[in-house]
Amino acid sequence: MIQALVLTHGAIGAELVRVVELILGPTEGLRAETNQGRSAREMTEIVSAWVSELGPDPHGVVFIDDYGGSCANAARLGGTEAANIPVVSGINLTMLLAMVTWRDELEPAELVQRVVDQGRKAVTVVGGAR
Amino acid sequence: MNLVLARIDDRFIHGQVTVGWGQRLRPDLILLANDEIAGDPWQARIYASTVPPDVSVQVLSLQEAAATVLDPASDFAHHERVFLLTGSPSDMHALVAMGVPLERINVGGMHFDSGKQEMLPSVYVDRDDLVVFRTLLRRGVRLAAQAVPGGRETLLDDGLLAAMEARL
Repeated sequence: MIQALVLTHGAIGAELVRVVELILGPTEGLRAETNQGRSAREMTEIVSAWVSELGPDPHGVVFIDDYGGSCANAARLGGTEAANIPVVSGINLTMLLAMVTWRDELEPAELVQRVVDQGRKAVTVVGGAR
Repeated sequence: MNLVLARIDDRFIHGQVTVGWGQRLRPDLILLANDEIAGDPWQARIYASTVPPDVSVQVLSLQEAAATVLDPASDFAHHERVFLLTGSPSDMHALVAMGVPLERINVGGMHFDSGKQEMLPSVYVDRDDLVVFRTLLRRGVRLAAQAVPGGRETLLDDGLLAAMEARL
């Protein structure tokens, strides 16, 4: 199963994972981590440890909340390139729901593309103002 | 070359630097002085990639950074708004010891690490850090902890350092 590490500022990641489980029920393979109170080195070590836990043929994706910053730096420095694990920025609820929904049916590259496409579609004006 | 801020931050180039201080101070060059990152082009590229396109970035060793700041004929001498960044007090002190004239240092982020204790929110220190801070104070440098513009500023003065020493 493709695992996800949701590495974000503050409690964003933990709340996203919590809400996904409110909607879909208890869900394996989702891990939330925060940058709060952590140095770059500690964050990078958290990513490295998570990558190692995936084993020799890692199937995973790291989601971060913003394109640049401490989460992005740690996600990229923590061994994701060597393990061929995509790092995807801009995580939102739609993306995480899509990830869990499709992860047993799609290959990792297709899954990431689907998640990104769904996430982009979700960022839109749905009504209210004319 | 004119410095707009000298900051100690163990996350190096990240949101508080590029967005928080960056939007307020409008630096035209972020100069990251760090021996490890300067010696690893891959790491340097990752840190440099998070900076807005209108801001230049240079990742240099401590020695190169000091030489660059002090050389009026350096390739970067024309920069008028330079944001100088190190990952630790000892690295910032090394720049001062090499002659970089700093009147004030922003203590941005020194996060928890083994052997360190909280002095202020986001400022964890050990005895070595306190020795470096004292050395900088004796040189007449103003040390102030402030994470982001408009945030609470706390002076790191002799009293605060002494109180912390007593706790370590």
